[in-house]
Parts: sequence; structure tokens; C-alpha cells
Amino acid sequence: MSNEQNPSGEQNHHRHARPGGALPPEAPAPAPPPAARPEGTSGRQRLRAGLWPPRVSRAQLIVALLLFVLGLGLAIQVRSNSDNSALRGARQEDLVRILDELDNRTQRLEDEKQRLDDQRTELENSSDQAEEARKQTREKERQLGILAGTVAAHGPGITLTISDPTGAVEADMLLDTIQELRAAGAEAIQINGVRVVADTYFSGDGGELGVDGRKIEAPYEFKVIGKPQDLEPALNIPGGVVQTLEKEQATAEVTRAEDIVVDALRPAERPDYARSSSQ
Amino acid sequence: MIAVLGLVVGVVVGLLVRPEVPAVVEPYLPIAVVAALDAVFGGLRAMLDGIFVDKVFVVSFLSNVVVAALIVFLGDKLGVGAQLSTGVVVVLGIRIFSNAAAIRRHVFRAWGR
Repeated sequence: MSNEQNPSGEQNHHRHARPGGALPPEAPAPAPPPAARPEGTSGRQRLRAGLWPPRVSRAQLIVALLLFVLGLGLAIQVRSNSDNSALRGARQEDLVRILDELDNRTQRLEDEKQRLDDQRTELENSSDQAEEARKQTREKERQLGILAGTVAAHGPGITLTISDPTGAVEADMLLDTIQELRAAGAEAIQINGVRVVADTYFSGDGGELGVDGRKIEAPYEFKVIGKPQDLEPALNIPGGVVQTLEKEQATAEVTRAEDIVVDALRPAERPDYARSSSQ
Repeated sequence: MIAVLGLVVGVVVGLLVRPEVPAVVEPYLPIAVVAALDAVFGGLRAMLDGIFVDKVFVVSFLSNVVVAALIVFLGDKLGVGAQLSTGVVVVLGIRIFSNAAAIRRHVFRAWGR
């Protein structure tokens, strides 16, 4: 009501200022506001009015432009956030921190790698050493086996054949022969299929000889591995084995050979009392 | 209507064209977008209130974006960029919510009648 009173008051005022037929032209003056208002008394109606009949006005265009920019920014941001890793939008200090962390992690992993490498090298070395030790042990076992008579052996050497038609060869002669051969560097000896080792003994007499309790019969065939150039002269020296035997009407014949096979074996015996003190 | 079309076109163009954003602007883009959203909600509310003026909208939109970016820039320089941008987002979020509440009141009261 006051709204309508005011214009009338103004009109009165104007009437005082300008007397005359001013009423008709000024009467429409209050009319425009109601004309603009009826569409949008409520927000919803205003919204609908703004939305549906698409009017190209300056305000609409400017707002459209700004909203276009907003949409663009929104899309770019959403895209860059979901597309790429979180690094893209991160600020400098975060990046520095991430870089530091990565550096630390790399350092730690490098350290660990170094440690594992060392460990691997160590293990390889130790396994190499173990393999080497095993090899040496096997080698030693073979050598000791030859000495103990538990493995067969072959190599250059001589064959000594003693024929004893009269049964005059005694056990001590065979023992002398063995001593002589050993002194000349014999490494493996067998007599008629019996391996001669450290505790070999001879027994019997007059054609009834035994080696380590096993009877052997003439001719006695010694297979000896050693250096033939040493063994043969050792038997043939004046006053040596061959001459002594021939004095007893036994004949001794020495033959060199490139490859003598000593294949008579003896079981490995475990000593009852003696124990190795090296380990 | 044209304004809504502008928004839709902007989103579509942004998704399809995938423009390269200069690295200098990149940290400020999210804050600028939030500030612009605030301006848009304010404008919508003003329109429902019937006091919408395009010049005011343009100025508030641009100044919102610029001030938000400036605050973040300053925060970065001062070494409190993360906290300050969080603060800006919180404040803008509150404003957006209050504007949204006013808009809702307009729309639903109208429907209620």
C-alpha cells in the first residue's frame, strides 16, 4: 500500500511543481515494475523463466562464458587427478618429500642388495671350498686305499716270477724280496693274487709258503707297481734278491711292463683301539 | 539456459580436448575451481532472490578466483600452502553450503505451495 501511496505523493508533489495534465503520462510509471515482476514473484518461477525460453542476452552470454571456463577447469582438474598419478598435482614440498623417501628407500634397497650379494659370494666361496675339500678327501682316500690295498691300482712296473722246482724258497726270501722292492720305491705289490700291505706276513717253509695265512704255490708271481728303472736294478744288484734265489736253484725272472694291474683287494679294517687324533 | 549450456560445453571440451595446463597455474587450478563454484552458487542464489546483476556476478567470479589463487600462492611462498589451501576450501565450502541452503529454500518452498 505504501508503494502505491508514494507515487501518488510524488504525483501530488509534481502536481504542485507542474500544474497541468501531468497525470496521464505518469500513471504508467508504476506499471513497469509490476510488468517485470509478475513472472518471477517466486524463485522457482524465476528459475524456470531463466531456463526455458532460451534468450540470448548479454547477461546470459557472459554467465555462459564464465561457466564454460568453470566447466573447463573442473574437467581438467578431475581428469588430471584421476588420469595421472598423485604426483601431477602435488606441490613442491610434497614432491621433495616424496623424492626424499624414494631416495631413502633406494638406499635401503641398495644396502640390502649389497648385503645379499656379499652373502651369496660368501656362500659360493664356502661351497667351492667344501667342494675342494671333498675333492682332496677323495684323492687322499684313493691314495690311502692304494696303500691299504682296498682299491685296485695300475701303472708302470715290473713282474717278477720266481719258479721254485726244488721247493728251496723260504718265507724270509720272499720277505727280503718285498723289502727290496719297497726300498726301491714299489707302491703296490701283489703275490699270486694276494695284496701285500703294511701288515703282510709270510709263513711256512720249503715250498709250503703262505702269505697272510693264504697258501701260495710256485711259481711265485710278483706284480709290482713302481718305477721300472729303479725296481729292476734293485733286484738284479750283485748279492741281491735274484742272485740269492739263483744260488738256491730257484730262477727269478724280471719283466718290465708299461701297465701292471694290481687288482687283488683287501677289506678295509677298522682298528679296534686306535683312533685318529687329527679330528 | 545458455549459461547451463556453457557449463556443459566446458566440461565436454575439457574432457575431450584435454588441454595442457601450464605448470605454473596447475597448483592453483583446484582452488580456483572451488572459488568459481562458490561464485556460481552465489549467482544462482542471487538470481532466485531476483537481485541478480551480471556485472556483479562477473566481478565476484573473477575476484573469487584471483583471491583464492593469490591466497594459495602466498601460502606456498610462506610455506603453509597446504594448510592455507585447506582453509580456503573450508571457507568456500561453508559459503557454498549456505548458498545451496538458500537456493533449496527457494525451490522447495515454491514447490510446497
